Amino acid sequence: MLDRDGLEALCRARARLRAAGDERVRIRRLAAESGLSPHHFIRRFKAVFGDTPHQVAVRARLERAKELLLDSEESVTGISLRLGFASLGTFSARFAREVGMSPSRFRRLAVRSRPEAMSCLGLMTGEPLRPESNFEEAPARAIRGH
Amino acid sequence: MRIKLTSIFVEDQARALAFYTDVLGFVKRQDIPVGQYRWLSVVSPEGPQDLELSLEPNANPAARTYQEALFKQGIPLTAFEVDDLDGEYRRLRGRGVVFTREPTDTGPVRIAILADTCGNLVQLYQKRR
Repeated sequence: MLDRDGLEALCRARARLRAAGDERVRIRRLAAESGLSPHHFIRRFKAVFGDTPHQVAVRARLERAKELLLDSEESVTGISLRLGFASLGTFSARFAREVGMSPSRFRRLAVRSRPEAMSCLGLMTGEPLRPESNFEEAPARAIRGH
Repeated sequence: MRIKLTSIFVEDQARALAFYTDVLGFVKRQDIPVGQYRWLSVVSPEGPQDLELSLEPNANPAARTYQEALFKQGIPLTAFEVDDLDGEYRRLRGRGVVFTREPTDTGPVRIAILADTCGNLVQLYQKRR
């Protein structure tokens, strides 16, 4: 059973993991704030949210990376350092695994098909959700897992 | 005019499909790729066969905000009827599902609330006889 306090603590932990950006949030501290051991915290977090705290943190950093790739001129190396990835190689591999292409390819392709607000029921019609987007060139699975 | 379709936002459609079929026990009805998403729906094997639940990507930031706010407040986004709430509760607990409310009598129904691993709370209810 997850009581109200436990639920709120997990939500706070998720928000902090996502907001952390380039700073590392310590699982041990989040666990303590939830009144759980690190082991139980990680297990419960995954059972509730479907991802481990680590996966949430990495995904959040990759989301931030996508924004920087689209909105800034910063080099891929610069972005990987800024977001605290151990190396450019680590960053590129993580990014490719999640997004389905390298950061530089994402930047090249995504400029023409930026993820924007979408209409979910539009999926029903089988039509592209954003008429201006060209899905042939859109980064496949680019915002998989948002 | 008929109600044939309802929907729920999910964080990850692949994970949602796994949870809603393998764990909850629904059956996939439609799975049509649309760009980087899918038109994805499930039905209940207990019927009605023509009432679909669509698992919609929450890629719209407004959808995520809505989902997260309700989640944090402990409010379920939808509800499914069951014949044996306590049996389902035990079965789902055994599958690792986390409940935020154990089976509780509330007036005309007995309810329990679970986390669907896709960003939502879902209420199960059994009508009391």
